[in-house]
Amino acid sequence: MPGPSAPHSFVLRAGERGHDFIRSDGTRASYIAGHPDAFITRESSFNFHEYQSGRPGFGSMRVFGDEVFHGVGCGYNMHPHHNFLICALILEGELTHINTVGGGMVDRLRPGDYYVFSAGSGGKHCELGITGEDTSIIYVWFLPAELYLPPTYFRGHFDGRTGRHDIVQLIGEADGALPIPNDIRISRLISDAGGKYTYKPRSLSHGTYVFVLDGDLRCADTVLRRRDSTGISGVEGIDCQAAADATDVLFVEVAMTMRDDVVGR
Amino acid sequence: MALDQADADLRPLKRLMCLGCGFSYDEALGLPNHGIAPGTRWEDVPEDWVCPDCGTRKSGFEMVEIGYAPGGAELAQRA
Repeated sequence: MPGPSAPHSFVLRAGERGHDFIRSDGTRASYIAGHPDAFITRESSFNFHEYQSGRPGFGSMRVFGDEVFHGVGCGYNMHPHHNFLICALILEGELTHINTVGGGMVDRLRPGDYYVFSAGSGGKHCELGITGEDTSIIYVWFLPAELYLPPTYFRGHFDGRTGRHDIVQLIGEADGALPIPNDIRISRLISDAGGKYTYKPRSLSHGTYVFVLDGDLRCADTVLRRRDSTGISGVEGIDCQAAADATDVLFVEVAMTMRDDVVGR
Repeated sequence: MALDQADADLRPLKRLMCLGCGFSYDEALGLPNHGIAPGTRWEDVPEDWVCPDCGTRKSGFEMVEIGYAPGGAELAQRA
């Protein structure tokens, strides 16, 4: 059996992900907001809810959901969480986020905005698209380093103009990045002029999940198109060649363990 | 007495986390507020039991090897 630092990779094409279409009707309406005509579409890179025929996860990552809220008032009604580290990156539309952390807050997030919600010892939140435009969001959930941490919420913004042509860390320990209580980094690359980039994970025992939001990317000899992804571990660097057109990529770096070699494929 | 000792369950106690919402089940702590006594093994939790927070079935829980933040175990016992 290979150890956590042995080279290992997989490729997941856009159409191979789990697909959910969840309408706000019947008993679902208590969970999915916007009854009667709202619906959520969700493409899952890893097993989630009814989708259980894919990969269990990658390192500490358990959910990578590519979701769209359709219809006025669509979203998730107020619901509880514990422990999970929940990150959301808004791609299109506007997300109204009501969260009980710290005495409660209401946040409105637009494209480029993102948040990190560490649910820890418990919190509730509600996420809604209230403007009528479709709301496109990437959700990424991780296991925490410790259970029952004090809950926290942070939000940040990625400026796709000033941050262009560079791999910019959004979440992690870098200056300006949002903190997250585990060994995790999320970075984003926007390029519109082609070019070569190398993503360097912290060590050989870290894995990187590369997800193409838009455009084409040649990544470690594999051509990835819109919403394709690859997970790579056990390498010092990941060489990427962006196409000349607009390219938008997320890099999610996590610590791998021996266990990932057992369950993470 | 000898039989009790022979039957003593020496396996380490497990922690599991709900993959639907993050709720955790700790065999050592049980869930006294939900009628499950401390020390109850996961396999002894009824098969039709679901996550009290989100309704996820037992099969949607994952065993984790994650310790508690300071004070976390006491909070978990009251969940």
